[in-house]
Amino acid sequence: MSVVTVRDAGPVPVKSRSGGVTIDVVSVTAVSPIDVEDVEDSPEDDRLWVTIVWNDPINLMSYVTYVFRKLFGYSERKATKLMLDVHHKGRATVASGTREEMEAAAERLHTYGLWATIAQD
Amino acid sequence: MNGFRRTRAGIELRLPRLESSLLTELLGQVDALLEAPPVDDPLEALVGLRDTAPPPPEDPAVARLLPDPYPDDPLASGDFRRRRTDEALARKRDAARRVLAAVPAPGAVLVLDEDAAQDWLTVLNDLRLVLGTRLGLTDDESTAELENLTPEDPRRPIAAVYAFLTELLDELTRALL
Repeated sequence: MSVVTVRDAGPVPVKSRSGGVTIDVVSVTAVSPIDVEDVEDSPEDDRLWVTIVWNDPINLMSYVTYVFRKLFGYSERKATKLMLDVHHKGRATVASGTREEMEAAAERLHTYGLWATIAQD
Repeated sequence: MNGFRRTRAGIELRLPRLESSLLTELLGQVDALLEAPPVDDPLEALVGLRDTAPPPPEDPAVARLLPDPYPDDPLASGDFRRRRTDEALARKRDAARRVLAAVPAPGAVLVLDEDAAQDWLTVLNDLRLVLGTRLGLTDDESTAELENLTPEDPRRPIAAVYAFLTELLDELTRALL
């Protein structure tokens, strides 16, 4: 799965462009080289961590959509889009933040039986 | 009408006799399935803290309930298990116990508040994950196959229970949306 899709799936704070405002990059079709360089040039490794939900044949689509709304407060539209990404693409990034935040998010998803992992973006 | 329904009083659950006893029986097995892995060091066991990581669950069904958040990093994965496994298992056991205690008798009506609804949701889904793993549901093909089992297929009884849990969970999810 490409970086593009990873960014496409969740709210990504774009610090270098918008001063820390979290924006929902729904329509991004490519990650420009500038974004990548911005990340690599930073003095310490402050890349974001992300929580990824993987497709599985057991969890129901209605249930997965509900869990995304319940745990992250996402709109029905956004939760449905993420659920369909999981279903069709095999995975979707559902949250981003610090490592501690993403561990906590993954644990909440595990409580609901979703197959979640975390990684550095 | 049986199953979950949203009413003015909240979400209600009614179960026929067979389903009520089936749920009670399934939920009664959760404690044994989700036992905390033993702590080897006597001192650690005494103070209730782990200094070393428990091994990953051997039972694939338990492993499915406790996904590894760091599949590519064995060190981080072990550290996560050391810190979080006991609590995660206890949380799932406690939820299953609360649901077991609340299973309505045939003819009775259970009214769920928000916390109880979340308990039922997670516990029903955990049961589906366990049975689904036992049924070997690994991809969409094996799930489709489940609907066309021959009468003599040994998986039929479990598949029927799995289908019942699926219907129940779907009803509850829709009642909550």
